[in-house]
Amino acid sequence: MHELALAEGIILNVLDFVRKSERHIVGFRVAIGEFAQFDKRLVEELLIELVKGTELEKANIIVEVERAVIKCLYCNSKWGFNQLIKQLPDDQKEMIHFLPELLNSFSKCPTCGKSDFEIEKGRSVRLVGVELDV
Amino acid sequence: MFEPNIGLDFREGMIKRRLERIGQTILITSGKGGVGKSMVAATSAALMAKAGMSVGLLDADVYGPSSAFIFGVRSLPKEDRHGLIPPVSNGVKVMSLDLFLTGRPLPLSGKGARQIIKELLTLTDWGILDSLIVDTPPGTGDILMTLIKAIGSMSGSIIVTAPSALSTSIVRRVIELLLAAQISILGVLENMSYIASSKARPLTHSRGKSLASEFGIKFLGELPIDYKAAEAADAGDIPSLLQTDFAKALLTSLEKSNLFTTKPKN
Repeated sequence: MHELALAEGIILNVLDFVRKSERHIVGFRVAIGEFAQFDKRLVEELLIELVKGTELEKANIIVEVERAVIKCLYCNSKWGFNQLIKQLPDDQKEMIHFLPELLNSFSKCPTCGKSDFEIEKGRSVRLVGVELDV
Repeated sequence: MFEPNIGLDFREGMIKRRLERIGQTILITSGKGGVGKSMVAATSAALMAKAGMSVGLLDADVYGPSSAFIFGVRSLPKEDRHGLIPPVSNGVKVMSLDLFLTGRPLPLSGKGARQIIKELLTLTDWGILDSLIVDTPPGTGDILMTLIKAIGSMSGSIIVTAPSALSTSIVRRVIELLLAAQISILGVLENMSYIASSKARPLTHSRGKSLASEFGIKFLGELPIDYKAAEAADAGDIPSLLQTDFAKALLTSLEKSNLFTTKPKN
């Protein structure tokens, strides 16, 4: 699992914002997309560990799981991760956890059977935003 | 006060940090399909590795990845806490979507193509390299634009063209795009200029040199149509590929671009 690399990326992104904007941050919020298939608690622990000794040490860290939504560009139907994951063999489940768009090669729209779809939400880890001190 | 958009995709910072450990990043590009970008990219990487450099090859051609095929690589990248570790073949670290797809098509919209290229750049842990060669897809669409935005400021480019007027008319557009984006162009390579075995020239007029001259760019040289190189690539046989007239001509051309003089970064 590559959670550490992504957690480091998030923290460096927030620190970069703090240093450039010279704003005080009281917290930040991170979303873990369902495609990432990460353990939420492990990501929280990594983030808490990584902020130690930085300007973010006392920041309130909120980690939430973002439900995946996949939208067919051909028939406009939408479906979710649970519906999708049942169809995939284990090796493909593993591959989409780091490169979610590989799904277009491995799967089809459950309604029309086309492969012309895109991931609307829940694709990977992202920084949702920061809580600024006013 | 909650601020939802602080203006940075954290992946861009990660990509920058990964590239800071690489001596030089070179985009092999053209705009035109079928001019031999992938052969130039793969052979360049193999030549550099043979010269003792630490080299990575990123196949950014989402729709027609071929680097894994040319290198005969079949193993998946290994995943660890720091990202994806590319498999090594003939001294070159190779990252390509075909390592995952193994010949399957990948039907992606522009948005999906942008995401997967950015994710590949973010997650691939190249370590310290002298050189990263990036094989770009044809066209001036989403993938090339994503590469320019994500790594353009830290890279240079080599332009590949064929001798025809049709090819140079398209390649000219990519040169203009790269210059507008302030990407350094190390030179123009003309591929398919002559037949390796007979030295016969399919087209009497070589337009690659005049194209380079038009933009004040260095002309690096002419490369042959070489059936032995094609056979070696088909077989995933890099040692044989490096013995071909194509590889020898490419080596002579690349030596003009100072690509072999880099020092590793720490």
